Amino acid sequence: MIDLIGGIPYYILEFGDELVYFTPYTITLFLLALTFTVLVIISRPEKQVDIAFGGDAYRTKEISLPEMRFRRFMAIACGLASMGAMVTGDIFNFALFTAMVGITNVGIVAAVKSPHVQDAAYQYGLVALAATIPLFAGAAVYAAAIGSLSMIELMKGTLPAVPLIAKAMLVIGVVGEGMAPFYAAKAEMFRAPGAPYVIMCSLSSLLIFLRVVEIVMLG
Amino acid sequence: MWGQYSYGLFVVMVAAVIAFFALARERDDLHKLLLLDLVEIVGLGVIALLGTDLAEALILPGLTVGIAELLALSQIYCTKEGIREMPVRGLNIEVIAKADAPLIISIFLVTYGMILSGFTGGAVAGLGLVVLFISRSYREDLNLLEMASGISWALWIFAFFVFMFLPEYWFVALMLAAIGILLKVTVKMSLVGTMWGEQHD
Repeated sequence: MIDLIGGIPYYILEFGDELVYFTPYTITLFLLALTFTVLVIISRPEKQVDIAFGGDAYRTKEISLPEMRFRRFMAIACGLASMGAMVTGDIFNFALFTAMVGITNVGIVAAVKSPHVQDAAYQYGLVALAATIPLFAGAAVYAAAIGSLSMIELMKGTLPAVPLIAKAMLVIGVVGEGMAPFYAAKAEMFRAPGAPYVIMCSLSSLLIFLRVVEIVMLG
Repeated sequence: MWGQYSYGLFVVMVAAVIAFFALARERDDLHKLLLLDLVEIVGLGVIALLGTDLAEALILPGLTVGIAELLALSQIYCTKEGIREMPVRGLNIEVIAKADAPLIISIFLVTYGMILSGFTGGAVAGLGLVVLFISRSYREDLNLLEMASGISWALWIFAFFVFMFLPEYWFVALMLAAIGILLKVTVKMSLVGTMWGEQHD
């Protein structure tokens, strides 16, 4: 009997231990990530405009092409990692994809020459690095307590209950990748010019948080 | 069994709390990064405590992600602080450069690594080569080594395809994978620090 928060899976792809499944919930998130990745691929980046306050003067910031190329690549990688995190049926893979989103988020703004942005990216990176510890530890406690990392097995309801500490660690890990209390450094990162790419930072953490809610509700 | 696991978890938690406490008091950015790396290694203990084959399979990606973030952050740190390229020229200690000890140590490590084979063997043999490269300060074209690494990696992947699609030839695949990963890890390890900061067109 499969009874779960995200609805009945439409499709389960089993490839050994690695499984991928689509429920009405995850397919929505997946399509959102896919749409934004396609947008990042096809769209032309904006040029940030600085307006002198109280006057008519304004200037656009010049951004070099190699820098933009690198940031587009990182944004696409971020989109792919988010898509992976949306459809994966394995808790450890989810942790890996989440950590990858953290790295690519730093990568998206790392090429920006502004010292403010660099500093914010560094501080955000420190938090993200610290957050990988509860993230992976949470996945490990899942494996230790219930003997499986498969979300499909979790859905069936035959496994022992997941300890609260495992769920808490998983959520703390995801939150550290850029959700509410740790958001400050990430908000500073948005000073970086280049609209569609920077939005990927924000969207990916949102999607991953929505997914971890489903995972925590499963067990 | 669960009791032992809980004790282990408790020790890891205490270690992590101590490290995070140090982190909260630290003000220097670079030291923060180093402390976080320490916490990360302790945190891997939680996965290691599973004590199964699965734990080994989970630690490797965990470690890789940690190293990747560490590399990314150190690169940002260098850019942020405006630190320029600093060429590394080996140890440059005359006694070590002339002595036979590094050669003997590296021959021993490489031989032992060959006997171990697989991932561990590759790491041991690679360490032997690192010792030699650091002490002798080689200036050679290492692109060939890079290529060898790539080819042995392809060999390893090919062996996995044999496992998946032609399971009756598992022994050949096992040997291919063992040799492939041995060569790949050896070469990759020996390039660590040797190809430091070199620019390739």
